[in-house]
Amino acid sequence: MRKLASVFGGTLLLTLAVAFLVRDAAATRQGATAVNDSLIAPTLTPSDSAALKGPRQPIFFRHDIHAGQYKINCQYCHYSVSVSSEPGIPSMGTCMNCHLVIGGTDSTAQREIAKVREAYNTSTPVEWNRVYFLARHAHFPHMRHINVMGPNACATCHGDVTRAPQVFKVNNVNNMGFCINCHLERNVSRDCSVCHY
Amino acid sequence: MDETQDKGMDRRRFLTVLGVSGAGTAALTGCSTDRVQKLIPYLVQSEDQVPGIPTWYASTCTECASGCGLHVKTREARAIKLEGNPAHPVNAGKLCARGQAGLQSLYNPNRVRGPQKRQADGGTTDVAWADAIAELAAKATAAGGKVAVISGAGRGTFSDLLATWTAALGGKVVRYQPFDHEPMREANRQVFGVDGLPAHDFASARFILSFGADFLETWLAPVENQRGFAASHGFSDGTMARHVALAPRMSLTGMNADEWFAIVPGSEAAIALAMAQVILAERSSAPSDATALRGMLAAYAPDQVAQQSGLTADQIRLLAREFVSAGPSLAVAGGIGSQHAGAAQVCAAVNILNYVAGNVGRTVRFGADLDSSDGYAALASLQQEMDAGQIAVLLVHDANPVYALPKSSGFAAAMAKVPYKVSTALVLDETAALCDLILPQSHALERWDDLRPRAGVHSLMQPVMEPVFDTLAPGEVLLRVAKAAGGPLAGLQAASWDEYLKTEWQGVARNRGAGNFATFWVDTLANGGLFDETAAPAAVRLAAGAAQVVGTAPAFVGEGEFLFAPSASPMLYDGRGADKPWLLENPDPVTKITWQSWVEIHPETAADLDIREGEILRLVSESGSIEAPAYLYPGVRRDVVSAPLGYGHTNFGAYATGRGANALDLLPAPNGAGFVSYVSTRVRLEKTRRYQKVAKTEGNTRQLGRGVAEAMALGAAQKGLTPEEAHHEEAGGAAHEINTPRELDAIAGFAAAQKAATLKGNYAGEHPQWGMTIDLAKCTGCSACVTACYAENNIPTVGESEVLRGREMSWMRIERYYEGGHEGEPLETRFVPMLCQHCANAPCEPVCPVYAAYHTPDGLNGQVYNRCVGTRYCSNNCPFKVRYFNWFAYNKKAFPEPLNLQLNPDVTVRARGVMEKCTFCVQRIRGAQNEAALEHRPLRDGDVVTACAQACPSSAIIFGDRMDPESRVARSAADPRGYHVFEETNVRPSVTYLAKVLNGAEA
Repeated sequence: MRKLASVFGGTLLLTLAVAFLVRDAAATRQGATAVNDSLIAPTLTPSDSAALKGPRQPIFFRHDIHAGQYKINCQYCHYSVSVSSEPGIPSMGTCMNCHLVIGGTDSTAQREIAKVREAYNTSTPVEWNRVYFLARHAHFPHMRHINVMGPNACATCHGDVTRAPQVFKVNNVNNMGFCINCHLERNVSRDCSVCHY
Repeated sequence: MDETQDKGMDRRRFLTVLGVSGAGTAALTGCSTDRVQKLIPYLVQSEDQVPGIPTWYASTCTECASGCGLHVKTREARAIKLEGNPAHPVNAGKLCARGQAGLQSLYNPNRVRGPQKRQADGGTTDVAWADAIAELAAKATAAGGKVAVISGAGRGTFSDLLATWTAALGGKVVRYQPFDHEPMREANRQVFGVDGLPAHDFASARFILSFGADFLETWLAPVENQRGFAASHGFSDGTMARHVALAPRMSLTGMNADEWFAIVPGSEAAIALAMAQVILAERSSAPSDATALRGMLAAYAPDQVAQQSGLTADQIRLLAREFVSAGPSLAVAGGIGSQHAGAAQVCAAVNILNYVAGNVGRTVRFGADLDSSDGYAALASLQQEMDAGQIAVLLVHDANPVYALPKSSGFAAAMAKVPYKVSTALVLDETAALCDLILPQSHALERWDDLRPRAGVHSLMQPVMEPVFDTLAPGEVLLRVAKAAGGPLAGLQAASWDEYLKTEWQGVARNRGAGNFATFWVDTLANGGLFDETAAPAAVRLAAGAAQVVGTAPAFVGEGEFLFAPSASPMLYDGRGADKPWLLENPDPVTKITWQSWVEIHPETAADLDIREGEILRLVSESGSIEAPAYLYPGVRRDVVSAPLGYGHTNFGAYATGRGANALDLLPAPNGAGFVSYVSTRVRLEKTRRYQKVAKTEGNTRQLGRGVAEAMALGAAQKGLTPEEAHHEEAGGAAHEINTPRELDAIAGFAAAQKAATLKGNYAGEHPQWGMTIDLAKCTGCSACVTACYAENNIPTVGESEVLRGREMSWMRIERYYEGGHEGEPLETRFVPMLCQHCANAPCEPVCPVYAAYHTPDGLNGQVYNRCVGTRYCSNNCPFKVRYFNWFAYNKKAFPEPLNLQLNPDVTVRARGVMEKCTFCVQRIRGAQNEAALEHRPLRDGDVVTACAQACPSSAIIFGDRMDPESRVARSAADPRGYHVFEETNVRPSVTYLAKVLNGAEA
């Protein structure tokens, strides 16, 4: 048993219980020159995900590898966040844009990527477990917030997913105080009917 | 074909279950996030769907024959709202209640979910499409030409294909719509020698005379008529047209008349001819060929006609003079509610009247060639063949003749003699219930199709979403049958119906000289079709038949003290609306009755017979009897009783079946006539001494001096008087004060305190102040806004029993008040759309203990559902009764699968125990603000259009920012006719009504 501590969103400590951790030599070799060592995501297996915070997903998709290590822009997958109130969940086709050729370097990654390909080829989209759910009597226009606060403002609510092997609920977005605090700080409308209708 | 379709389904399937779109909005959850929810991505991102952003498709409405253009709003690949296509020449962006309710036909839980085959025991069993098509192909080829088709589909590529397909089999097609206009066509043939229906220009007519034509309800193209009517009859630039209605019953059209004359049923033709006689006798400017009619018309001098018509000779002369001096004028006839055996002669007489007044070619424009069907005569002759066993295979498409024809016609019995019957019904209706094979068609919003409702208009339809159920486009069925059958149908080869339609359109493109078909197709599709400028009206002359027009009243069959005159329901139309909760709950504009049928009887007659409202009356004719509760209606003649058409289905899904009485049951068989005479029989009225509460929403029929629906004479409006001043002038009395000086003092002080309060927090700074004006001179009470509001705001329908308890949730309702009508005074009707007035000084706000009702900085009377604890104090304190309490979880019953797919994801679905009301479509305001913010620009006037304002065919509703002096709403609210309801309460509403203008008779 090894314990790995990492800092989330500048404030949160996440303790990960990891059964065993083997650094994949190939991944390190490839990324070593280009990527800051601290951004190289640890190698985990799906069985580790049970011990991670947040709901276990049908595919062990790792934001820390995609957004952290490879620095893929959030909006590559969450494509509608700057134009729509909905951020957009990437289609299986979006996954296949890369995973048509990227098959993974270690057995864990290969197994998970195989699931993506399988889902795409058999036309059965993955059913992700939802992490953030805003009550339906509140309306949150993502695009307004992204346009004001910049494309990297996602972390304000969702935490720093570039370091999260598995996404979990960093902030309770249904806690209205969480919204109001920010609106007070920035002196923007606290009128009820701006969000509730 | 199968493969491509399956693939297409995967690409575009709507898979978001919860959250990405809020698709499961039927259940309102609290803040709890414990439940595991799934996010299901698209397999491949659709190019034209972005979650959270609506995608609009242009299409065509199929709820009646007028062929209005649609813009279909879809979210995440499901249609959620229908609006008019502004580019379409018929409706110009507007849509009636029936058209908007087309969505409930798409998502109707009673729809047939897949092909079915009749079993020996009478039940049905599911079959595969391939098997069903093979069976039909085999039967059709084996029939040896004894094939017949009854089709209610409009004129278009499909009806052409259907004709080719049937002709190849040696059979025949009868195109049939119950509300066809056979008498008008017959009259046009007789008087002008023209076979077709003209367009009518209500917008430029200065005097509109209706001989029982319900042009605001079901007559020809109601939305187009209403647009024109509002343009001419709405008060603008100091002038307005005059509208007089002549009919035994005051329909919605009659209610919008400046004068309604309850003429003797059947005397319409004589009156029209008498007017023509007066015009020809007094004017020399009549067309030269019309003078030849002088001899024929001599028999219809006003003095002779007066006795039998219910009008005095002077009234007829006055009408004739007004008619001819207000050029151009327009007389219309041929409504369902006055279709008696002499209806063709009425239309012919009105043709002559229009001709002698010089309206033909001006307001009556031949050459428009409005779509109409083959008429009842063709169906009757097919029925004879069926009866004689000469038809082996019958295909019924988009028609329900078993219901729509009087039972006495014997159609069902004739149909039973056909050995093999096929239906393409959306919902298993009375006709489909007799069929051996049911091949459910895809709804018009789920398929490719087109319509040619009139000359120069090619209106397209495109699938806006995947079919909800296992259905096929009817054209696809025909082509697959052709492929399977071969033989005579071998010539009909196309890969698919989509390809077939495109090939036809390639021809259209070639004819227009369009170079690149792909560009042409995309542009045309986005436009909604091809809309060519209407050519100059075809010139018509009087034909020889004009001299043979007779004005004798028809004979009515049967004994009994009352004549039975059914009315065409503006909601249910020919009965097809009866399976849509929106239309059943939207009160009948005339009687304000929901969910049930009724019998209209004049209050004085009722008093004589000791009949009270709600007593179940039995009407008995020679052909049958019906029972329905009495409704006392001052707008019906004392010797006439009326009942609405469209109710009394025996097999038409759960909503319609067994609801109300079918007025057609009273009618005698239309033997030998070219059309069904709806007004043809006398009835005996029997009291049952049983009572039923009438589920009506009208409240009090009189204003009792409350000043809700103000009106003023044309003269006063022309002088620019306010309603208040107009009252003074009329009364000739001293100024009436709304508030005493002490009250005014208090008001001023209160206003100052309020002003001080608005300088804090969110309220500081400049905000728009949303407001609305409603022009009662244009409002016809048609209730299109009501359905628009239901569709936009996820308002649940509550059903008959809850309406009886006064719990209907109609955020927007049309109040109807009578004026006059006592002791021979003329009866006047006023309509007031009543919605939350968003009072600046709202009485509901201070009484809410939890601040759920509060005032927003932008002038809305906000209602925060998640704060509301349901004390209902706000409703008690509202002077307008526009707050509606959700007593039960109405949303759970109102939207059974798949009706819930229609719900607007931008609007909270309210749970039980919550007060709700009109929000001025706050979701549209926020949407427009978001859009403007993304484009870094301020909101412009017209960016926000509420659902009611968008739908209103009269354009009576204007919405916008009252603080912007240049906005349309601010300019409109400054009209001297503007007033606030209950001004004296000092609630300072944001809704300004513009008083109705009455155009009385010239002295």
